[in-house]
Amino acid sequence: MIRLPRAATAALSLVGGFVVLILYGPLSVAIFFSFFRLERNVVRWDSFSFDAYGALTHNEGILDAISNTMIVGAAAVVLSLSFGTLLAFYCRAGRSRARTALQFVIFLPFLMPPIITGLSLLIFFREVGIPRSLVTVVIGHTVFVLVLVYRIVFTRLQSLPPSLVEASLDLGASRWQTFRHVLAPSLMPALVSAAVLAFALSYDETLITLLVTGTKSTLPMRLWAMMRLGFTPDINALVTLILAGTTILALVALRLVKLPQRH
Amino acid sequence: MPSDRALTAVTAPDGRTGAGAAVDPWRLAASILAYALPAVFIVVPLALFLAQSFFYVEGGHIIHVLSLRNYVRFFTASVFVPVFVRTCALALGVAAITVVLGYPVAYLLASLEGRRKYAMTLVFVIPLLMSYIIKIYAIRSILGSNGFLNRILLWAGVIDHPLTFLLFNLNAVLLTLSAILLPFAILPIFVSLERIPRNVLDASADLGASAWHTFRNVIWPLSLQGTVVGASFTFMLALGDFVTPQMVGGTSGFTFGRIIYSQFGFAFNWPFGAALSVVLLVVVMVAIVLTGRAVRPGYPT
Repeated sequence: MIRLPRAATAALSLVGGFVVLILYGPLSVAIFFSFFRLERNVVRWDSFSFDAYGALTHNEGILDAISNTMIVGAAAVVLSLSFGTLLAFYCRAGRSRARTALQFVIFLPFLMPPIITGLSLLIFFREVGIPRSLVTVVIGHTVFVLVLVYRIVFTRLQSLPPSLVEASLDLGASRWQTFRHVLAPSLMPALVSAAVLAFALSYDETLITLLVTGTKSTLPMRLWAMMRLGFTPDINALVTLILAGTTILALVALRLVKLPQRH
Repeated sequence: MPSDRALTAVTAPDGRTGAGAAVDPWRLAASILAYALPAVFIVVPLALFLAQSFFYVEGGHIIHVLSLRNYVRFFTASVFVPVFVRTCALALGVAAITVVLGYPVAYLLASLEGRRKYAMTLVFVIPLLMSYIIKIYAIRSILGSNGFLNRILLWAGVIDHPLTFLLFNLNAVLLTLSAILLPFAILPIFVSLERIPRNVLDASADLGASAWHTFRNVIWPLSLQGTVVGASFTFMLALGDFVTPQMVGGTSGFTFGRIIYSQFGFAFNWPFGAALSVVLLVVVMVAIVLTGRAVRPGYPT
């Protein structure tokens, strides 16, 4: 804990307030105009309505995009969770050069700019002859979030005392029983938080998706297409809904894991 | 296959005994999978990507013959190097802005206590998970000539005509990227400040150092690593971005990422696009190595 003189706190709070304004100001404006209309540069306070939200329900493209986003997110979560857990167990079981290399390799897609990860996958899919579709998007997202799941599960495994497993085996439990009744319950919180974070990242992923997607679009793609046409109240409504979703996901995720780090 | 398998398996925390270590098909399958999937979906694509940069296009087809012509074109054609240099400068600008604004915020967070600290940290971390496209959209709707900022200024009588220099140029890209990437700078700086042991600060105070001296001689050096990490995060993310410049950059805000992206779209020259990305990757690797150097010596992280 760092102690600060009063004047310094005031000065820093000023910068902090400015940053909050930068981070939340534009978003608040978008949310505001999903409910209110402007007329000749003046806000019509009596124009409050949910019309923009109603309009969304008739927009097929958006409903499609939402369902695509859910499918991709769920698939990426399942894949990254199962493979990330396998990797965590494998790397926890011993140390070797090969394992260190493996850890480095799975870190790469997260470390490199998304454009590089996306392009290399795009070229790979083409050279191998896999047509671009939601499947390729799922692969892209899985590769991207894998290291995060791996790190969370691995850290949890490291904190478990080996005696736990030894005791279970000594007491005659089979390997499966040990996994089912000893390891799985203690891993559960880590798996849940990894799943939420993986989903949150997949939900928002834009750059890799743009490169590896086929004709179907996820929410960010759909929004991008809509925004190129201009500003309409229903974009603001959609933006508000998505932000609400993200905020809930973020609060859940951050409750479960304290401060995710990128390294 | 690592040879230490049989030994470690006995005490392995994964709950599997060493009994069948020699010929356990499940174990074997698991370890093959552990290497095969990353090899197929990470290493092979990267290798193909590198190889692609040495191919070339002729008559609308990609010729799978190794050549250096893409790289020669990058360095000799007069258009690419200036855009590249400008994009690097832009990314450096983003790194500078995010650190200058992010450091005070991280410092403020580190000086808070208890629930307040947790809540305030959330305020600055949640935007990390918020949709990237949405943030760009929101900022664009603020900066535009018909945007919120102009409307306010017009309404307040500060200006007579909408300001047009706020959007669709390189400045707009710089501002938007800085706003979007700010939390990426705040987080590592905050973590490095949090890691400074309390007794180090107490010792400094006990020895009579003022708050300023403690900052200058103790806290600043110890938080430098997090600052470097934060700067390199935002630098790398800004460097390769192509959506932000496209959304707020207009025609004059052309960046390297956009040129790369266009090679995979209407320009349809994948090998050249790959070569340009390799150039980008080289800069990123230099940034990573420099960051690694800055982070390694001294205080344990």
